[in-house]
Amino acid sequence: MKILTTVKKVVDVELTIRVESAAIVEEGLQYVMNAWDENAVEASVQLKENNGAETTLVSIGGDDDNTQIIRRGFAMGIDNGIQIDDPLLAGADSFVLARVLQKVYEKGSYDLVITGKQAQDTDNGQTGIILAENLEIPCVSNVVAIDVIDDELLKVTRLGDGGKEIVELKLPAVVTVSDSINEPRLPQMRGLMMAKKKKIEVMDLAALGTSFEEVGGSDNRSEILEFSRSQAREAGKKYEGDAAEITAQVVGLLVNEAKVL
Amino acid sequence: MAFLLFIALSVFCYSMVRKIQLLQALAPANRADHLKTRFKNMIILAVGQQRLIGRAKERSSGIMHAFIFWGFCILLIRSLMLYGEGFQKGFELPFFGEPDLLGYLYIALKDLVEGIVLVMVIWAIYRRAVVKPERLHNSFKAYLVLVLIGILMVSDLLYDGARFNLVQLPNLSSDIHIFNNPQYGPEFLWAPLSKAAAALISGFSAGTLSLLLVVMFWLHICTQMVFLNILPYGKHFHVITALPNVFFKSLGYPHEKAKLLDMEDEDAWENESLGLNHIHQLDWKQALDLFTCTECGRCKQVCPTYATDKPLNLYDFNLNLRQELTDNEAAIIQRAKLLSGAEQSGHDTDTLKEEVLALNSEKQLVGDVIAEDTLWACTTCRACEEVCPVTIEHVPRIIGMRQGQTLIAQSYPKELNPALKGLERNGNPWGIGYDKRDEWAKGLGVTKIADNPDVEYLLWVGCAGSFDDRAKKISVSLVKILQKAGVSFGILGVEEKCTGDFARRVGNEMLFQMLAQENVETLNGYNVKKIIAACPHCLNTLKHDYPQLGGNYQLIHHSEFIEQLIKEGKIKLNQSMKGTVTYHDPCYLGRYNDIYRQPRSVLQAVSIDEIKEMDRSGKESFCCGAGGGRMWMEESIGTKIYLERTREILDLQATTVAVSCPFCLTMIEDGIKEMEKVDTVRTRDIAELVAQYMV
Amino acid sequence: MAKVLVIADIKRGEVKRSTAELLAKARSIGAETAAVAIGNNLEALIPSLVSGGSDSQYIADDPGLELFSAGPYATCVVDAASQFGADQIWFASTENSKAVAPKVAARLGVACATDITDVAYTGDNIEITRPAIANKVIQRVKINSEKLVAVVRAGAFKMTDESTAGSENVIRLSAPPTDLGAVVKELIADASGEIDLGDAAIVVSVGRGVKDQKGIDLVKGLADDLGAGFGTSRAMVDSGLMEHNKQVGQTGKIVAPKLYISVGISGAIQHLSGMTGSQVILAVNNDPEAPIFNVADYGIVGDLFEVVPILRQQIKSIQR
Repeated sequence: MKILTTVKKVVDVELTIRVESAAIVEEGLQYVMNAWDENAVEASVQLKENNGAETTLVSIGGDDDNTQIIRRGFAMGIDNGIQIDDPLLAGADSFVLARVLQKVYEKGSYDLVITGKQAQDTDNGQTGIILAENLEIPCVSNVVAIDVIDDELLKVTRLGDGGKEIVELKLPAVVTVSDSINEPRLPQMRGLMMAKKKKIEVMDLAALGTSFEEVGGSDNRSEILEFSRSQAREAGKKYEGDAAEITAQVVGLLVNEAKVL
Repeated sequence: MAFLLFIALSVFCYSMVRKIQLLQALAPANRADHLKTRFKNMIILAVGQQRLIGRAKERSSGIMHAFIFWGFCILLIRSLMLYGEGFQKGFELPFFGEPDLLGYLYIALKDLVEGIVLVMVIWAIYRRAVVKPERLHNSFKAYLVLVLIGILMVSDLLYDGARFNLVQLPNLSSDIHIFNNPQYGPEFLWAPLSKAAAALISGFSAGTLSLLLVVMFWLHICTQMVFLNILPYGKHFHVITALPNVFFKSLGYPHEKAKLLDMEDEDAWENESLGLNHIHQLDWKQALDLFTCTECGRCKQVCPTYATDKPLNLYDFNLNLRQELTDNEAAIIQRAKLLSGAEQSGHDTDTLKEEVLALNSEKQLVGDVIAEDTLWACTTCRACEEVCPVTIEHVPRIIGMRQGQTLIAQSYPKELNPALKGLERNGNPWGIGYDKRDEWAKGLGVTKIADNPDVEYLLWVGCAGSFDDRAKKISVSLVKILQKAGVSFGILGVEEKCTGDFARRVGNEMLFQMLAQENVETLNGYNVKKIIAACPHCLNTLKHDYPQLGGNYQLIHHSEFIEQLIKEGKIKLNQSMKGTVTYHDPCYLGRYNDIYRQPRSVLQAVSIDEIKEMDRSGKESFCCGAGGGRMWMEESIGTKIYLERTREILDLQATTVAVSCPFCLTMIEDGIKEMEKVDTVRTRDIAELVAQYMV
Repeated sequence: MAKVLVIADIKRGEVKRSTAELLAKARSIGAETAAVAIGNNLEALIPSLVSGGSDSQYIADDPGLELFSAGPYATCVVDAASQFGADQIWFASTENSKAVAPKVAARLGVACATDITDVAYTGDNIEITRPAIANKVIQRVKINSEKLVAVVRAGAFKMTDESTAGSENVIRLSAPPTDLGAVVKELIADASGEIDLGDAAIVVSVGRGVKDQKGIDLVKGLADDLGAGFGTSRAMVDSGLMEHNKQVGQTGKIVAPKLYISVGISGAIQHLSGMTGSQVILAVNNDPEAPIFNVADYGIVGDLFEVVPILRQQIKSIQR
């Protein structure tokens, strides 16, 4: 089985994000692999370890942070790495990215695409599903377990609105994973050392066999106009003291002041 | 006699040579420095039996052993005399002969000592068999050796007894040699015990007495030779190795520092020689430690994990390793021979590698010899090392094995991952954004060293002091104190990263070296010389581990610094704190860095009442349970270490428990919360108390 | 006049409140509204779709649609949208709608926006507002395509006091082909009788402060007394004490009830981002420094084992 895993670099969400002049302040920010994509990489590596799958990582973006997350994927156990480096793709929306990924998919021959269900910076959760639509292959999202039945069939567990769904998925297919699927391993020294030596296949759109127009790059369906800081919720009042007294007080307030009871 | 001696000594030499070959075959360790200090240690600790008779607990058994040991040493001279007698009748040692007062004094001493040793041996046997202290393991060998010593004493006394009796008989007296000096009198005047022995057997006939003489003589000699030869096998090897083991113990730092591993070394990866994975990777001092273990069980007794029913039993730990070492003795020696003789033997590298590989000990230390849970239960508190009478260094072995587990086996408690990831990404185990590291200092007017690199001291805040809400109060208090005293200091702010202490203690050399290198670069970039730290873990790592990576700084714990400020009158305290107060010694401040007095002196300066000490305090302080990376792990086996310590604090009925480590603060406060005594006892860092009572 | 198609959020045979909220918002921006309901045995739901505020109701009612499958559901939405001539297609935020919305957008060749908190027309363009980077920033986004598929954040659109009911105008959709590529073999349903977190007007959440099942039961009692949804924090799910579908937080459910009561939860950022949209927050915790108090309107510092029984008592007496 050949697996294509897509990963994205995102800003470390633990940091304080500052906004100035309607834009995000870049200074002091550091970038890491999207947490859900870490789950995707872990799932791919587990399929490699348990079922002998061959794994390939693809990331769109040419800077060093992107290179580092591909190396991190190597260190976790991924076999091959593809980096799409084309400055025209800066600011591309999910639809454009999905087209680019489609080209990557079509350039190789893959049976399964695994991606995290959403990215920590945009929280969009669209790219994987759009990719499946483009490729006209089935897609199951929010997956918490993947079992291989044979070369052509997977059994996946999805967390849906009604409960856990056990789905039989015909390959080739796209799976987007939830963070509940696994605990991503920390890359160990051995892996990191070997990762440094592995070759990454770097391609721009031309090398990928396509063009900016073909991937719809000039037709972003949406564009971000501005950023602003979220309003932090203000703290209310804290009550300390005799449990019976303060509880009575607060209940009274909930009824009379807040009018929610 | 000559023949007997020859056989005995040959066998003994063979055993010793094998053992020495084994030591030589193992990894090197440089212990040949500071010979004078080493000699002094040996005299005080080994010869002086300091940890046995100097320790208040179990002092009586310590004295018992001390006497057996000293007696043993004193009687060595007697042994020489007897061996000489075996060769030549009437043999006398120079200075100890008939004309010498020394000779007579020695006879008296020998008599006294033999009596004492005999009594001690009987007591020891009684203690093992009847009293059965929990820490002792009553093996056959333990009894055997005691019995042999007993036989040695008895045989010598009876030998002398027979001698004295026979010398009274007219026709044999010339055959029997005893001291008889006109000035000092006959020998038996100086040997009351032997005389008593003589009285005991005076009823026998001359023939029996002669026989007894010969039998007792040879019994003594043979027992000694047997004794000598069983020494290298088993716990009594310590009789020979204890002195050298203490001589070669670590100086300057209580145990061998963790090895700075070169993780780029391909061969090391192939040989699995990063960290301790197999027994052949021990260094010779560690092997000597294993030889020297007397199986006394004190380490087990003071270990906080043993006290809380976890699988780490140091007694078994040592013995399992020793067994593995013995099992692989031949292979290790052979392997070393191959490696050293590589050039001469003309082997090509590949065949050599194969042969060496074949001789590598197969068993994985962790998994086959030691259980995994055992390895990770350790809090690295050093209570074991502090109490060990022969200065065995347990902790470095554990760290070495953890290094091997993390790097080669890639197996370690996965619950550490969030903390390790946090270190990697944001330089702190909580994984909180690095950009928030100095938020605790907002509005306090604290200088950032980037703004003023000329400050005299760097205040190293540490991760807890920067991010943990409770520990931030320590940082704030300390700043108040330093500012009041007009100290010139600054902080690194967001440039500070975790020192990497816990990464190192769990064997993650990769993360430790990464963090250390970055910190050293930052500190050296600002030309930092003096660092004040509130956290003993930070202090310990900065002081002792960072020199390995080019970071050499003078480290001062905040309690030391505050004591100094008080002495210099730079801060004044209102000594008005009431209520029973006690102090909990943090392991990394006390046992690792020998700082016991200063926090107490500071504490006493605020407290009206005298500090009430816990039973397990100072050098024998009981760990809070957070060291060795355990802060980031749950205690899922046995009972909780921090509750054990909390109970001890509560039993004291203290109203304030003072600490000087943010981990201890957290653990003890958690314990008090869990035991629902928050209203009865408060936990405070020394800095908080000083800030509170500062005028 | 713009046309907005709202996909009805149906759970256990009921149309959830969010559907009416979305329809009300559509009306408020002056749009003509339609609702599409997809599933099995939907006849009884039509009145609520009407009273919720839709002027047309597209019904895809078929046994084959009993179990959710993204492909067929997307087909029904596309069908309804084409027939209605929808300019905007809105979903309430659920796992299922997040699986369907991008498919619909891809098939229609239009933009897709998820987790939006507001939508408006600026001149000819649609503009949406949505949070990003773990709720730390807000994006204002211009939609370049003529139409928009949007997934609306829970509680973002509120019911207005004057919500006009719609009119009944039912169009039946033909059953879509099944997705042979992804076949749902089994549905292990969440325990029935549970109040859905997304729908509940009051949510009570329990955290690590309770320590064990007894504590959980105590707090559940409070939730039952209030007829509230019962949620929890990540820590409780990780330790196995609570089910994942109860998790409120960034990686769980985002809720915005009228009243959110957190018991024994310290307030890690990931949890907060799941409930700070609530109207009123009451927090109970014995640690006065717990971060939850930074967002709570009312905070009770005390032992939950003391406070919760008293709370229940007081609430019961009010209810009488």
